[in-house]
Amino acid sequence: MSVDKLAYYPGCPSEATAIEQHMSTEAVFEKLGVELVEVEDWNCCGAAEVEDPRLVYALNARNLAIAEKDDLDIVTPCSICYYNLERSNKALKADEALRTKLKGIDNSLDYGGKIKTKHVLDVFVNDIGLDEISSKLEKKVNVKVAPYYGCYIGRPPETAFDDPDNPVLMDKLIELIGGEIVPNFNYMKTVCCGGPLMMTRGDIAFDMARKILDVAKNAGADCIALACPLCGMMLDGKQADIEKALDVTIGMPVVYITQLLGLALGIEPNKLGLNKNAVDTKEILGKVV
Amino acid sequence: MPIKTWELDPNFKNEIMNEAGGERLASCFQCSTCTLGCPITEFVPGYNPRKIIQMSLLGMREEVLSNPDLWVCLICQTCTARCPQDVRIADVLGALRRIAEREEEAGNLKIDSPRPLFDKAFQHQLKKFGRLYDMGLAMEYYPKKEGSFIKGMLAMMKDYKDFGMRMFLKGKMGPLGGGSPVKGMLASKIKQKDVMKKIFEELGEEGKEK
Repeated sequence: MSVDKLAYYPGCPSEATAIEQHMSTEAVFEKLGVELVEVEDWNCCGAAEVEDPRLVYALNARNLAIAEKDDLDIVTPCSICYYNLERSNKALKADEALRTKLKGIDNSLDYGGKIKTKHVLDVFVNDIGLDEISSKLEKKVNVKVAPYYGCYIGRPPETAFDDPDNPVLMDKLIELIGGEIVPNFNYMKTVCCGGPLMMTRGDIAFDMARKILDVAKNAGADCIALACPLCGMMLDGKQADIEKALDVTIGMPVVYITQLLGLALGIEPNKLGLNKNAVDTKEILGKVV
Repeated sequence: MPIKTWELDPNFKNEIMNEAGGERLASCFQCSTCTLGCPITEFVPGYNPRKIIQMSLLGMREEVLSNPDLWVCLICQTCTARCPQDVRIADVLGALRRIAEREEEAGNLKIDSPRPLFDKAFQHQLKKFGRLYDMGLAMEYYPKKEGSFIKGMLAMMKDYKDFGMRMFLKGKMGPLGGGSPVKGMLASKIKQKDVMKKIFEELGEEGKEK
């Protein structure tokens, strides 16, 4: 195993709407023997609502600088946080004038460009490795899964760590823990969930999310697995609102990949926050053997 | 409708290329790969990022900046990932949105979308607390979007009553999750809030309006 300690950037949804992603991420890393040190006093990455790259770089420079002081690479479970951290890291490493400028705004933005930023999926598959994870599995998670990757895992090219059209990192983990990838979901893997429009064009966002849920359901999935709290909010948190608004019945459980992995590692479901997903996850728990 | 060449702004493309994210605009050779892959085209008839790029290159400044389609882009990066010319369309649209917002603030344009209000309300939370505060965001955004506090609260209730109750019952907000009884209801604040203020005042558009 090539990694034993990482700085952990939970991201804002970890405190409320995606607390189950946060809980399961911490529990899984603990079980895998990787120590997570939360970035002390971390600030928001800017999400998709801070569009000006200069602001994004400044916001993330502070988080990067805090982790750099501990000489630790940063891992985050959120795909949007990852995108902002990674693109800021790249820009700051390449541009000394930018680093000097940010340092001039406040000393806490003084980042030397020495650490790496990673998404949890990347760390699981490429750093810890499937063999290492396999050696620690205690249970078989016998579920049919629609693996939904969303936007920032395979896009844009300069921060991507998986294929843009047919990403596979989550598939590999699901197969490793005894799950089955449903056929006919591949073409939806990376189509946006509509989340960025939820507050300004909810009608479009609902239609987009519904399509993903429908395709997963028609493909015979027991659940959707994902790795982004905005996708989680749209597909799980808002699923009942989508059903009501569009007069449909879906009832598709949606879980974070860290929750599925945690089950296979033998972690208590409640410690993985599986009682906090909006759509009931009991059927999944019944298939853990 | 024919393009009136005498009304074009030949400097518009330079204005975009000087904006962060807009630098690669002129590399577009109009292949339409961006539009063909765009997930929004299925839901918004006529949505066409290729056309927005071409109109920008031609200098159709007013038409581009007042186009409501700028505000339904998801920033999902599919166009950017597939573009054979590395135009970075998602970033170009972001640059166009920022130019449009400045024009609206200067009183030269009316944006037909609540999205600038949402983005600003989001940034206010960050400037104040250092982290996203969902309730504060909604409390600021809805009244601005609806034009009055009462209308805003009613719209917010309509959109979020069921969702809020769901989050409460699952213990994601409020006392049921254990820990603080006001979890998720009060802002989570970072210690170095002064740094956030400095960042937004030094680099942000919104710092200027206080």
